[in-house]
Amino acid sequence: MFIQMTVRVSHLGAWPLLFFLGFMGIFLSDAVKAAESESFSNPAVTARLISAEDGIAPDAASVSLGLALEYGEGWKGYWRTPGEVGLAPKLDWAGSTNLKSAELLWPAPERFEAFGIENFGYSGQVVLPIRARLEDAGHPLELRARVSLLTCSTVCVPHDFELSLALPQGVGIDTKSAGQIATYADRVPAVPENSDIRISVTALDTRDSALIVVAKSDTPFGQVDVFPEFGPLVTFGKPDIRLDRDRTELWAQIPINAWTEEHAEPSVTITDTGRAITAPVTLTSEPPAPPFASADPRASVLKVVAVAAIAFLGGLILNVMPCVLPVLSIKLTSVLKATGQTRQMTRNGFLFSALGVLTFVWALAAALVFLQWIGVSVGWGIQFQNPVFVTLMFMVIAVFAANLFGAFEISLPVALQDRLGASGARSGYISDFGTGLLAAILATPCSAPFLGTAITFALAGTRMDVMVIFTALGLGLALPYLVIAARPEWVTRLPRPGRWMLMVRLLLGGLLLATAAWLLFVLVGVAGGRAAAFVSVLTAVFIVAASILRANQWVRRAVLSACAFLAIFGAGLTSTPDRTTPGVDATSQWTDFEPIGIARHVSEGKTVFVDVTADWCLTCKANKSLVLDRDPVRAQLRGGSVVAMQADWTRPNENIARFLERYDRYGIPFNIVFGPGSPSGIALPEILTPQAVLDALDTASVRSVASE
Amino acid sequence: MDSKRRSTLLTIGVVIAGYAALRTVPSLLPEKLELQALDSPAGFRKYVAGETSGGFDPFVGLGTADSTEVAAQKAAALQRVSENICSALYGDLSPTPTQVPMASFSDYYCPFCRVQTKRLADMTGEMPDRITVAWHELPLLGDTSNLAAKAALAAKRQNAYVAFHERLMKSPFQATPEYLSRLASDLGVDSDKLVADMQSAAIARELEDSAALARVFAFVGTPALVIGRTVVQGQISDNLVREIIALEREEGWRDVCTAA
Repeated sequence: MFIQMTVRVSHLGAWPLLFFLGFMGIFLSDAVKAAESESFSNPAVTARLISAEDGIAPDAASVSLGLALEYGEGWKGYWRTPGEVGLAPKLDWAGSTNLKSAELLWPAPERFEAFGIENFGYSGQVVLPIRARLEDAGHPLELRARVSLLTCSTVCVPHDFELSLALPQGVGIDTKSAGQIATYADRVPAVPENSDIRISVTALDTRDSALIVVAKSDTPFGQVDVFPEFGPLVTFGKPDIRLDRDRTELWAQIPINAWTEEHAEPSVTITDTGRAITAPVTLTSEPPAPPFASADPRASVLKVVAVAAIAFLGGLILNVMPCVLPVLSIKLTSVLKATGQTRQMTRNGFLFSALGVLTFVWALAAALVFLQWIGVSVGWGIQFQNPVFVTLMFMVIAVFAANLFGAFEISLPVALQDRLGASGARSGYISDFGTGLLAAILATPCSAPFLGTAITFALAGTRMDVMVIFTALGLGLALPYLVIAARPEWVTRLPRPGRWMLMVRLLLGGLLLATAAWLLFVLVGVAGGRAAAFVSVLTAVFIVAASILRANQWVRRAVLSACAFLAIFGAGLTSTPDRTTPGVDATSQWTDFEPIGIARHVSEGKTVFVDVTADWCLTCKANKSLVLDRDPVRAQLRGGSVVAMQADWTRPNENIARFLERYDRYGIPFNIVFGPGSPSGIALPEILTPQAVLDALDTASVRSVASE
Repeated sequence: MDSKRRSTLLTIGVVIAGYAALRTVPSLLPEKLELQALDSPAGFRKYVAGETSGGFDPFVGLGTADSTEVAAQKAAALQRVSENICSALYGDLSPTPTQVPMASFSDYYCPFCRVQTKRLADMTGEMPDRITVAWHELPLLGDTSNLAAKAALAAKRQNAYVAFHERLMKSPFQATPEYLSRLASDLGVDSDKLVADMQSAAIARELEDSAALARVFAFVGTPALVIGRTVVQGQISDNLVREIIALEREEGWRDVCTAA
């Protein structure tokens, strides 16, 4: 084998061998070296340069990089506008080779408040995406970044260090880095054209003491914040942000701490749960009056009391829900049956049951406080955009409505019934406590509508609000036990089951049915009519299966689980993924990438525009927001004669890779236009301009005389 | 099955409660005054604040590499300061026998520095017979920070140091003549003198000395505070400052100065 090879080498000269060795060299070095720099690390911050691509692909004119920062526990870093004090990170690329420009992108910041000083920045992990352009396309890139940044905890420590990263020629995606860059590139506020938030007014108030910002959004605002930027000499205080009733209109008043008339390119950034926008603004002179109630998360005491009262009522109603009623009635009958118990024992037993109920709701509240504390925040109404959540809610409520109308009975497992029945006789407060706990646990599926409301309200409120609301809910649920504990003799005076119970059931059933109908309506909006029909059919099957009395128990269980499973997963799959904002997506000009279809479209006289993009590709995002998704190019791409295909290369895809290879490209962005005038395609430069795209579309669409 | 579920729930509850307690309780407990003797400079000791202590490179500040001339100046300042640390720290202060001297180091860009300046000023107003403060500027964050430091020291020469910091609490510093004259009139100081002082060699030298002190005490950042012979790095509660002052009064701080 070896001899054979040597012979060949001597025949063909040394080139193939050199090529082979070189290739192996690239291959090995790629395998060994990840596309990231050494890290600078101390207790305040760990910093690295990362690259989405392992190497510079042939002809690639740009590359997606990121400055990955990980702040230590308690440390913070700053945004491009740091706030009243602080300092934004700075990168100096002097000493880099083959780097034409590097644009730093800033993910949406958080607001920090300490000692009455407002600061904007990041904590924990953040990647500042960097859009780098190359001097010589396709040539290796050597990066040397001098980074200076300030971190503060109880002490402010500046850092000044150098990171270097060499990207040789090569292809391949570093999935981990690419994923990180994509995640944070997604958090970079969108330009106005790509956002469903519209900033309508920016004005100084009558006394020039505050900036007023008014904005509208198609989808409701969640946890919203406003960051005006008027240059380094203007600083602002804490904003007063208000939303209207359906949370689609925002009014914010931001006190001015320091002002100057000289500010180039002022802008306002609005951050919200999962989205953000930065828009250039011009000051107008007419400040609109504050129209709405405050959106301050610290809800007024009155509101908390109102919600607590609702929660209390809700808890009380839960007792007659099909899942809790059995527990309560078994508990009560066990007392009636039990003889030889002293009044005191009965009283204590019920007190412990009530305590069990409260313990469970407190555990829920604690879990919620924990979620809130680790940063989970659910804006009002946000969950109603999630098809899986809506499906689940719809099914639970529809099934309970059917139950209340008498379609079937929900009965507790026999073992549990026995245990509950026995618990009264066995004088152990622990088992009484268990009864209460069980009642509360069993109540959770029925209480979804109430809990959902309470949770969304509570997540937006303070810890105190959470505790108050959940305690009210628990007290409501525990009220029957507490009443009996106060007056054990009332057990005998409880109304006997009868016609009145039927009325109550029908009334509750009607309420639930109305809720289910509303949820179905929401589902149509969120997941489309097909998914909604699919879910309702499965729910109907579920109810029918549950109501057939003589069915085999195992078959019934299998059918029920299958229905629930299919509905929930089906809803997730059949609905449109919510990766892009609805509203923007609905009017998208893009169709799926179909390389085989290109020739057919061209033969039909159409022009095909292909955009190969990826979530981690920063230049692609820039092209998209600055050229492709903006008029006049957008209008052209939407026009009837143009088919706009988008190929998403976020995850490796053989089809797309082969398509790129055919045009000698190994990196993206890649845009190409096919048409009667250019059947073999006009490849566009990596960095698009509206003119270049329009020209290419024009050239491609006209059947030239030469090609006839 | 029921008891199993219950115990699982209980375990989860305990874990959550435990973690939450671990996070919140320490901040509720009274802070403990824990002091650690410093190897250098001898006689001084530092308040151990926990996480903000070691792990950082000796502090240099932001900026480009030093030229030989600047390096020589720095070396000279270090020499000058090391010869008599106390006089560099407490400068012109002449504390009465009952007073404890304090040296406060702050930077324009550091949020807590402004708060510290205000607090120390308030405290001095409360107990003028017990403490006296020497104000240092440690501009570590580039040109603006450097200019603001010079302006602060120039204001200090007209007894307006604290007023200057309060004025800058909410508004950015601008290095323009118009801004400086407006600032001077707001503070009620002589504008021409302010500008002249800012450019004076005395202030340049004062900044050099403060920077050298930062190196002597191995400060990692700002704010920094020396109370008598106790070094404090970072934010600290008023109560602790009072405790340290009391301790310094009790134990005496003058030894360290005569020794050095």
